[in-house]
Parts: sequence; structure tokens; C-alpha cells
Amino acid sequence: MSESHRVLTAHWHDPSVIPLAGYEAAGGYRALRASLGMSADELIQVVKDSGLRGRGGAGFPTGMKWSFVPRDSGKPTFVTVNFDESEPGTCNNRELVEREPHALIEGSAIAARAIDCHLAFIYVRGEYLWQGQVLQRALDEAYAAGYLGRGIMGGDYDLDIVLHRGAGAYICGEETALLSSLEGFRGQPRLRPPFPAVEGLYESPTVINNVETLMNVPHIVNNGADWFKSIGTEKAPGTKVFTISGKVERPGNYELPMGTPMRTLLEDHAGGVLGGRALKAWTPGGSSTPFLTADHLDVGLDFESVMEAGSLLGTGAIMVLDETDCMVEAARRLVEFYAHESCGKCTPCREGTWWAARVLGRIESGHGHEDDLPVMADMGEHILFRAFCALADGAVSPIQSTLKHFMDEYEAHIREGRCPVTGRGPGRERGADHPAEDDRAVPDVTFAGAGPFEIQGVPS
Amino acid sequence: MSRPEQLVNLTIDGKQVAVPAGTLLIRAAEQVGVEIPRFCDHPFLEPVGACRQCYVEIEGQRKLFTSCTTTATEGMVVKTQNTSDVAHEAQVANLEFLLLNHPLDCPICDRGGECPLQDQALAFGPGESRYREAKRVYPKPITLSPLVNLDRERCVLCARCTRFCDEISGDRFIEMFARGAAQQVRISAGEDFRSPFSGNTVQICPVGALTSTPYRFVARPFDLSTVDTVCPHCSAGCNMKLDMRAGEVVRQLARDNYDVNDAWLCDKGRSAFRFPDAPDRIATPLIRERGLEPASFGEVLTRVAEWTDGARVAILTGGRLMDEDYYALSKLARTVFRTNDLDHRRAGDTGAAAAERHAAAKPMSLTYDDVETAAAIVVVGLDAEQEVPILHLRLRKAARRGARIWVLHPRRTRLHDVATHVLCAPGDEARLLAGGADDTLDEALAAVREAGAGAVVLAGERPGAADAAKRAADATGARFQYVTRRANDRGALLAGVHPSLLPGGRELDDVDDVEAAWGPLMNREPGRDTMGILRACADREVDVVFLIGVDPLRDVPDAGLVRRALDNVPVKIVQSLELGSLEPFADAFLPASAFLEKDGHVSTWEGRGQRLRAIRGRDGISLADWEIFASMALACGGDLGFETLDQLHDEMGRLMAAREDGRSEPGAGTFPAEVEPGDALALFTYPLLVDEGRLSEGADELKAALGQEPFVELHPSDAAAAGIVDGGRATVRTDAGAADLPARVTEHIAAGAAFVPFNQPGLAANTLFSGRMVTRARITPAESDAAPEGAEAVGAATGGGA
Repeated sequence: MSESHRVLTAHWHDPSVIPLAGYEAAGGYRALRASLGMSADELIQVVKDSGLRGRGGAGFPTGMKWSFVPRDSGKPTFVTVNFDESEPGTCNNRELVEREPHALIEGSAIAARAIDCHLAFIYVRGEYLWQGQVLQRALDEAYAAGYLGRGIMGGDYDLDIVLHRGAGAYICGEETALLSSLEGFRGQPRLRPPFPAVEGLYESPTVINNVETLMNVPHIVNNGADWFKSIGTEKAPGTKVFTISGKVERPGNYELPMGTPMRTLLEDHAGGVLGGRALKAWTPGGSSTPFLTADHLDVGLDFESVMEAGSLLGTGAIMVLDETDCMVEAARRLVEFYAHESCGKCTPCREGTWWAARVLGRIESGHGHEDDLPVMADMGEHILFRAFCALADGAVSPIQSTLKHFMDEYEAHIREGRCPVTGRGPGRERGADHPAEDDRAVPDVTFAGAGPFEIQGVPS
Repeated sequence: MSRPEQLVNLTIDGKQVAVPAGTLLIRAAEQVGVEIPRFCDHPFLEPVGACRQCYVEIEGQRKLFTSCTTTATEGMVVKTQNTSDVAHEAQVANLEFLLLNHPLDCPICDRGGECPLQDQALAFGPGESRYREAKRVYPKPITLSPLVNLDRERCVLCARCTRFCDEISGDRFIEMFARGAAQQVRISAGEDFRSPFSGNTVQICPVGALTSTPYRFVARPFDLSTVDTVCPHCSAGCNMKLDMRAGEVVRQLARDNYDVNDAWLCDKGRSAFRFPDAPDRIATPLIRERGLEPASFGEVLTRVAEWTDGARVAILTGGRLMDEDYYALSKLARTVFRTNDLDHRRAGDTGAAAAERHAAAKPMSLTYDDVETAAAIVVVGLDAEQEVPILHLRLRKAARRGARIWVLHPRRTRLHDVATHVLCAPGDEARLLAGGADDTLDEALAAVREAGAGAVVLAGERPGAADAAKRAADATGARFQYVTRRANDRGALLAGVHPSLLPGGRELDDVDDVEAAWGPLMNREPGRDTMGILRACADREVDVVFLIGVDPLRDVPDAGLVRRALDNVPVKIVQSLELGSLEPFADAFLPASAFLEKDGHVSTWEGRGQRLRAIRGRDGISLADWEIFASMALACGGDLGFETLDQLHDEMGRLMAAREDGRSEPGAGTFPAEVEPGDALALFTYPLLVDEGRLSEGADELKAALGQEPFVELHPSDAAAAGIVDGGRATVRTDAGAADLPARVTEHIAAGAAFVPFNQPGLAANTLFSGRMVTRARITPAESDAAPEGAEAVGAATGGGA
């Protein structure tokens, strides 16, 4: 890839930009200074013109999101940075902050300026202990240098940014659950409407943006909307920091223009499938996006192309599975994650993910029934778009996509009583009763963290 | 109310309906007779969208929508499960999810037979489960309080209970814990669900997860006969459904009435239902010959006629008869016994003369709805949660709607999280309400003045508070209501069961209407109030005293005086459900029917007359009080002029209607403060919600859940001066007596004041008072836990109160 397309990661080789002095030397805070000379409407317009879309998963146009915020409601407005990055397979926000923390502060400050916000929050994933420290150090530096606080950069604009640590729940990456958590309540999603733009944090107009989204903003302010639109695709301009993990030679974060084909990322950047084995399946955007297969290697990695291929760009987190991986196991592990992270508020998510994880576990271990497959098929239908928030839809992705692409593997598990790929499972003797008839012999799926709330297994 | 409402038109299952903008689809559907299945939705709770059972299809939309969270918009075309296969299929699928881990223990579940989950599973649930895995199992049940049990296996996590506690009662004892499939309702370890509204969570639970101890395993719904009635406990007048099994009351539930109690009951109303069946109920007349012996009504009434002939008669009653009874009693006293020595008030005159006249002349001049929609509310001398709990909930609802609330009371009330409290010394209300004495209160008065007709002043029974509040309301233009506590104090006032008021709040010199109905009134001198009557009895100035539905030994704040009165008055005639502590004194007993057994009306604190019907046969040969009065009049040579309820209503309606010309004067409003400056404290008292009251007899679970040991509460500065520590024991000494009590030291009581509850087990506080609900007291550290003086006082009190 040509260096010219490294925008957010242009300084990743250079640790000197982590402290403020180095960041300033590399041109840092130039955009913030420029934005202070612009009106809020001008700022929103340039972001709108750039076509920047949210990098947190949904791809909503950022400028439009900002423009929804009423600035005359008589209430304060808030910017809330979603640094809860907890989608399995995703760690681009993490490295972005580790390697250039001031870029997030600058982007957040410009966003605040655009909606006339004087108090912003950065919601940091609880497990990101060190990243939180890096960010806090950068915040302290920014305050000391007058980039934050009262009258920033000698002007009359005040802005405080508060770093808030989550307590380790996937659901708190959902924007309304994040707001609840930030307010000190249980991290559970809220009804929309009212949407956060109108009634968000503390019932006030609130913009919630992903870390990567905000980091793009200073570059757009510095270089203009046209420059931004010259990168990527027409509908999805700019670059994307893709996280590629799993069975590849060189896992990691790679910044590429939107629309770069998966084959380029996998083969040119990540060094191909580990050990030269055959690609079996991959997620384009983290655990919540449906699996694609080797047939989809030429799909461009942008919102539209991936959706056309039957999946979602999500967070741009590619997890690669090769020919030695069991897809039932993959689905079970992912669904188990969602069952564990389900907040419990609504029925389809709470009960559906719990049920699906256990059925998948049973099939995986060789104790499946033929009528489990229609149950799994129904499960997808009954959960998708029917739960309170999108968390449960994420659990449907691995179920439906593995059923779609790897039905033969499910059937083989059930038919043979063991995994056709790994050979695990008790197997089924020819002519004997199904080994799973005694369901009580099946090891139960356990949920870490379920104690001390007593969930007992089989009633005696 | 004239709130402008914009209507939107929509179609539900092919039926056109116009609803106010903002109406939820699930409500709109109800208006066209379409019931959409639901668990989490409740009309009085904020939408939550948790159970996902109420899916509907909206034309032009790809996804299904939960009808409990979606508002109607113009032109919307909605298809429910009745007309949409997709919606129906989604509901069936959701039911399958809900039943995965449900224990299906319907045969042993209290809810079986009246369970929404069971009903829906029966109506359209899958006959067999496809769930092969082991179910989620919890130990069962958790005792949340002596009244409420939680079975987490049955729970569908609809969050109605937790939302009730969060939004309605504000008593946030229970909360969701953990997450995912392990999410569950829990209470903090070691905590009890000590909310006086806890039972509502049981009633709104859509499954059998929350059950009530008094009803647990008692009956199946199909064994119950259910009747509608009104709660007999306080002036809130909650509408309720009463379930009887083989004639015995086994459960009371709130009945929706949006004008009165919304959908709620307090735990006392819900759980204290055993008194009509108490073992000491007497349903036969008795007369004292050698001892108290059964007699006929004829025999007893003949003796009553002899005793009262030419005698000086006085009548004491309480606040729990019906409007009809009070009217008949008022007429009996005036026309047959020619006496105005007639009172229903616990302590007689307490500085509420103007408030009482307003209440008697102007029923329904201020209602629950006015409270709910008020912009500014000042509550004076009323502990709403403890005294009229459902009014407390309505005040909280007003606060949620944005009303500003101030409370002027000697101790903090449970409105503390939604209202600003001004703690005042008992009797100091008038001075503070006159303005210029307290900044916070001045702010309240300014807000009230600004709110005009949107301002409400509510006054309770603390001595001197009501008239002071009335005067402030008149001065600021606020609407006013005197909130009397007992179930029908208001009816007694309306009927003129009062030494100086005739029906409709008429003075004794305003007799034209009354004489037109009753004939000439021979006695126009104001009579004695409760305390005056008792003093006259003690001084042998009364020949015959009637004690009607009242036990002055327990109710009147001067136990010593009551005992002297009962010793000295020659004839004591008791009319009630039982004799209780009056047994040694009664010369005759007339058995009254319980509220379950008679027709009539009771009036809420608003003056709203609510009809009650007899819902079971009379016990023994008991009679409605008014029937006894009518017979008594005849026996004594008079005639009340009515033999049927219709005749009575006809006459009563004319005299007890609201009167435009009803006098509504500010009144003196100068109830003298009891306590002189000095080292004594102003000891005040009032009954708490759950006490040893007669109507709580048999409500053991209620008392276990919410009862309290007697205590004395005082301010840290007074405690420090006296050397008393929180949790230590203190000796309370008054002119009337002494008691040794645990001390609660709290800044949430006015300095210079001290509080004892009126009637807790182990302390009849009326042994400490001298005719008023406030007195001077010296409070000192108890010498030791075994101090003989304190032990004596407690012992004596127990004897009187048990």
C-alpha cells in the first residue's frame, strides 16, 4: 500500500507523537485551532461534505448526526466518545489511542465545538486499563497546555473532557446503554425515541461517536472535504483501520482505503492464511457480522460491498478461520459470548442466546438431534430485529451465516455424533440409539460470572 | 380538565380509531376492543419494551414494532396478531422463549388460574416444548419481607415490580441484578422490602413470581367469590376487590379507579382484612344484669329509653361509620336526646374550626386529580405516607409531572426525595405560614401565589396546622383541602357529628334547612367536644354516654381522663363490632354490622361519597348503625323519619350537598403552642400506618413486615443536651405519665420537638398525653434498662392496648 493512504496511522512508527510536544511538532492541534475560527455550522458542513461515516459499526453519516443536535434546547449539549471497543476481533481503537492519544482529544474537541458542547466524556472500556492511562496522561498534558479547560487556546471557548471507565460489559458499547452506564445506572439500552441527539446524556442533546470516527475529523478540517472524498469509495470515503486476526500470518491493524478488496488485505498485508492453509470463513466486521467464505475474497471492504455480499462492515474486524476450524464450534463460541453479554432486559436476547448457545454446544459435542436444525433456523428468525437492541442481532449473525454456508458441517455433526473436522465427539455406533438420548450426560454450557447468582444445572 | 388534545386517526385491524397524539398503540388497540398480549406493559408505568410480547405489524415498515413503546401517528395502519400472521408468529415465538426456563409449576402456583402467562400459553402457546436442555433453577422462594415472596424461576423479568418501586412508590428496595439469562430481581442482602406499597408489586406481577404471604397457598381463583368494595382503613377511599372463600375474606386487591387510587393499595389496605372475622366479634345485643348477658334488641333499647329519659346524654364516636350512620346519629342526638354533646374527633377541637367548616360545606372542592395536576403544593401537618398513603402516591405522581412540593411538618416525611421540608415545632405552623419567618416557606408561598388556581394547600391533623394552612391558602388564592385521616371522618363532618356543626357544615344558628327536615331544634347551644364530654363524664355531669364504634381508652390522648370518665358516668352504652377494652364498663352492647355487611357511603378526604354494598350476610343479629339509631329513636319516643336507605338518602342528600353559601372563614388560626420556652420538649404524636389499631387485628404478616417497636425520636441538639445517644434508652416524662423508650436521634425532626408513635405494641402513648396530641415532656437518659418507673409505664400501657 502506498504511504499516502496512511492517514490515521501515519505516525504509528513514531512514538514521539504520543507526548504532546511530538504531536504538536507533527502538526497536532492545528485543526482545533482552525476550528475555533469556524462557526459550528461551518464545521458541521465540512464534515457533512466529506462524507465521513461512523466507524463504530452502523456507518451513519457523522455530519448529519451532529446536525441533529438542537443547540437552542436550553439544555447543555454533550459529546460522548465511545471507546468501549468490545466487539470480539476488534482492536483498532485501542492501537489508535495508544499510538496517538492527542489525535482523539483533538477530534473530540472539534466535535464538541461543532455542537457547542462544553463538557465531553470519553467512555473507556474497563479492560483498557493502560490505554486509559495513556489517554489520561494526554488529557492532563492538553489541560496544562491550554488545549482544554477554560478559554482554550487563549480564546473564549471552554471545554472539559472527562475520562470515564466502564466496568466490563459489551452492552455498554451500545450507545444508549453507554449513556445509562455513564449516568451511574445499570448498563442497559434505553428506548429510542427520544434519540440521544435530542435527549441523551442527562436528558440533554448528545452526540456519541466512535474513536476512529473522531480521529478522522482533524484531518478533514486540515485537508478539506474534497481531499477526504478522494480516498475510498464514493459512498464510503476515507480510510478504514482494519483489524485482522485469527489464522493469518501477520495479524494486526492495517489502514487501507475503504473498498480495498479482502484479498488485498489478507494476502498483501496480513501475509495470507496461516501456514498456507485454505481459507474457510471470515467475518468482515467483528463477531456480530455474518461469516463470509473463500468465495467472497474479492469483496471490497466498504459498507455497500460487504452488505451486498450478505454481511456487514461493522467495525472492520476481520477474523479468519481456516480449513482446520469447526464452524459449529465457531458459532457456539460466538453465541456463547452474546449469551454471556446479553444484558437480560428483553426476552428474545436473554432466552434466545441462552438456548442457542446450549443447542450449539450439544451439536458440537456430538449430541445433536436432527430436529435441532429447524430450531436453530427458527431461532435466527425469532431473534433478528425483534430484540430491544442490536446485541441479539449480533448473535444471529454466526447462527444464520454458518447454517447458510456450512449446513453440511452441522448435518455431519449430528449424523456422525462427532465433528467431521476435528474428530471430537463420542461418535455414533451404526444402528445404535442416538448417543444424545440421555441429554443429562451432556456437559452444560457454563456462563462465567454467573455466580454468586446461583444458576444450578440439572435439577435432581 | 381542559388539556388541549390533538387527535390522530389510525386503523387497527381494519377498525378506525382517533386517539390523542402520543397514545401508545397498545392503548389505542384497547379502545377498539383489541387486546394485544403483554407482560411488561402497565398503564401506570413508563414504557420499557422488555418482554417483546406485544409485537404488531405496521404497514410500510419492514420490522415488527412493540405496541407498548410505539405511539400512534396519523394514518398509521396497524395489524395485530388478529390480522397479521407475522405478528402472531412473533408472539408465539416469544412465548416459547418465555417458557423455556419457566418451571411450569402452575398446579402449586398461587397465580394458577389467573396468570397472564398461563392464559397466553393456553391460548396460543406451543403444546410441547422444543427445549431439551436443563432449565435454569433457583432455590425458591426468597422472602423479600414477611409480606412478599419472590420465586425467581417463575419470573419473566418484565420489571414491573422494580419499575413500580422506582417510579411510583420511590421505595427502591428491589432491583435487577446480574445480566443475561442470570438476570434476576433481588433485594440487597439483609434488607427487607419495607415499603408500605410492596403488595402492589405482587398484584402487577404478570406471573406467580411475587406472591403475598397472607394469600400464599390459601385458595384457587375458581374457589373465590370476588366483590367490589372500598377500603375501610383511611380517608384515601381506595377502591378494591375483595376475594372471599366460603364467606371468609382471604385477599384484597386494588381495583382500578383513575379518579381515586389509580391501580394501587397500600399494604395495610391489602393485608389488614381479618378484623371483621376477629374472634372477639359480638353479634348479639348484651345487657348488664349479673354480668353481661345476651338480650334482644327490644330489651336493650327499652332500657336505653329508660336510661336516657330526661337524662344528660353525650355521644362519642369514631371515624369509621358510614355517611348514613353519621347522619342518623346526628339527627338522633339533636332531635331525640336534644344534645350537642356529640363528637367523632379523637381529641376534639384541635385548631381546625375553619378547616372543618370548609370540609363540611364544600365536598369535592379539591380532588386527587387536582393534586396530580397542581403546579405548586404545600402540605401542612400531614405525614401523607403514614396517614393517607394513596394520597402520598398521588403527591409523588404530581412531583413526577413537575409539581413543586413543600412539606411543613414537625418531622420529615417520606416525601423527602420529591419535596422540600420545613421542620417546625408543633404549633408553630401559623407563625411560619404568616410569612416572613422562614425563607424556604416564603418561597413556597410565593410559588403558590404565582400558581394561582394551580396551587394546592393540603392540611392534616397536627394540632393547629389545619386552620393556619387554611388561612395561608385563602391569603394566596390556593385551593385548600383538610385531609382527615380515618376512613370516614369526612362523612362525620358532613353529617354534623360535631358539637357545633349541623349537617352540611351549618352552624347551630343556621337552622332553617335543618329544621325544615328535622323539625324544631330545641338545643342551639354548642355542645362539648370529645375532651369536654370526657371531662364532664369524669365530673359526673353526664348521665348516659354512648360509645359508638370507638374505644376511647385506646383512641383518646388522655388515658387517665378516659378511665375516670368511664368510672364516673352512670350508664355506658357501647355500639360496635366488639367490646374490647370496654367490656368491664359497658352497661349495654348493641351489635353493629361490619362494613362488609351493610349498604351505604363513605367519603374520601376529598368529600367524594363512594357507595359500598353489602357483600355478605350480617353476622348474627347485628344491624347497620343507622338502623339501630332509627329503632332507638322509636324506642325513646322519637322518630328519625326513615325506615329504608332510600328514605334516608332522600333526606340526607338535601342537607349534605355542597353549599355555595357555605361559610369558609379563615378562622382564628391561633392554636396556642403547648410548649413554653424552657428545658421541656414539645412531645407530639400521631398513629403510624401500621400500629395496634383495632382494624389491624389479625394482620400479623403486615405487622411483621412494617410494624415498629415504640420509640422516641428527637433532634441531635436536644439529645446532646440531655445526654441521650441514638439507640440508647430514654425516659419520657410528661404531666400524665412516663415511659422508657429506645431513642432515635435524627436531624429530621424539628429541634425542640420529640415524637412518639401513638399506638405501637408495648406503648399506648395516650398514657403520656393530656387531651391533645402534643404535650410538654422532659426526656432524660433511662437510668437503666430495668428502670422500675419506665417498666411500670410500659406495663400499664400494654394492659390497655393489647
